[in-house]
Amino acid sequence: MTPQPQAHAVEAHAHLGATIAALFARPDVGPWLMLAVQVTVSLILILALYWLARAMRLGGDVRIADAAHAAALAEATFPGFAAEEITVDRARIGALVRNRAGHVVLIRRHGARFVGRELTHHKGIRLDRHTLTLETGDPRFGPLTLDLGAEAQTWAASLRRLHGEMPDHVSGHAS
Amino acid sequence: MNLPSIAAIAHQAAAAGLDIVPFAVPLFVLAIVLEMVWAARHAPGAYEPGDTLTSLLMGLGSTIAGGLVASAIVVAAGWLYAHRVATVPVVWWTWIAVFVVDDFNYYWFHRTAHRVRWFWASHVNHHSSQHYNLSTALRQTWTGFPALSFAWRIWPAFFGVAPGMLLTVGGINLVYQFWIHTEAVHRMPRWFEAVMNTPSHHRVHHGTNPRYLDRNYAGVLIVWDRLFKSFEPERDDDPVRYGIVHQLGTFALTTVAFHEWRAIGRDVWHAPLLAKLGYLVREPGWRHDGNHTTSAVIRERWRAAQPGGEPD
Repeated sequence: MTPQPQAHAVEAHAHLGATIAALFARPDVGPWLMLAVQVTVSLILILALYWLARAMRLGGDVRIADAAHAAALAEATFPGFAAEEITVDRARIGALVRNRAGHVVLIRRHGARFVGRELTHHKGIRLDRHTLTLETGDPRFGPLTLDLGAEAQTWAASLRRLHGEMPDHVSGHAS
Repeated sequence: MNLPSIAAIAHQAAAAGLDIVPFAVPLFVLAIVLEMVWAARHAPGAYEPGDTLTSLLMGLGSTIAGGLVASAIVVAAGWLYAHRVATVPVVWWTWIAVFVVDDFNYYWFHRTAHRVRWFWASHVNHHSSQHYNLSTALRQTWTGFPALSFAWRIWPAFFGVAPGMLLTVGGINLVYQFWIHTEAVHRMPRWFEAVMNTPSHHRVHHGTNPRYLDRNYAGVLIVWDRLFKSFEPERDDDPVRYGIVHQLGTFALTTVAFHEWRAIGRDVWHAPLLAKLGYLVREPGWRHDGNHTTSAVIRERWRAAQPGGEPD
């Protein structure tokens, strides 16, 4: 007696293989099929690497160490920026840094790094007891709420004096 | 089984092109895993999962975009070759010569990609990561074709270099540049640092420190930077801060891919008629009102702010 179900399965697999091979051989389908396979395999590898980076806890939980660190971040954002006044969020995820000329840089965490923008206008600044919500006008930067403790009121008052141009976009910049 | 000789492979590569990039992909993946293991032990901040995901997806998108336009580039190179003024023979030393010429072309393409905003718009995404690791190497453009980047690399076909040779050496150049995107290697031997592009030289190129802005454009041979006065050595007392002057602050894929094109569009739209062209062909940071933030201006301001006015 021949085990017919197994024979059918082998035949079906052979048929499927032949169909796939024929599709790959067709000049109007093959290249696109190959591209689809490459994209799918690449996506799987990319997601695997992303998962591995997360599993290894790469990046970590970075915070602003202290006022000197915040000053260095402002200087890195605007070379030559000499910090005079600094306030750091109580969770150390952001900071405000002012120089002698009154320019204010807002620093926030971005992944395992930090980014900064100049705060040029009081628009969008909201004080709620110890927290200050700030907007730079750059949608990519987004609003940021800082818990500044008792310093929130003082900074809010001083930031209300900002009346510069609120940038509606970020212009071209050097590399 | 008879294996083809090296000469046969070289002739086949010259005729049809031998793209080694797909063969290198498994090595890329393995190297990234090894670098992640190194980072986990020595520098966890060297990688950020969100940043890595964006860089790798940019790489995939670039491959797809490249695949879609490859035939057009092949046709352009083929047309130049069909109208060639000479014929370069396919022998071992012409392979070396073509590799050097292509690397020279890469240097000028790359320098222009940093100095002309139209080209910068398609190149900026390679620089917008604030991290510098092997995944950054794969953070490649989606818009190289409309930026006409390929024109820099195919002109030798007009002088008789087979398009297949150009494709082959271009792929080798690209694969070489993968390994130099790492913080895991401090310095190579002095003789190597003198001639070849290295992780140290290329870290400088990705730096936003005023000292490092727009320096070290080399692909494989650093000698071009030394020759054309764009070389800057990495200094241990000035650690490299990576990214672009105006850091993006987002991992969003479409922003990374297209933000500078959008910014160009806005600037051209708002500029006076006679200034519009400037936003396409002048250097990034140029403004028609004179309020420039180009790399030269940033470097000058930084120098002026140093004690004594001049850094070491």
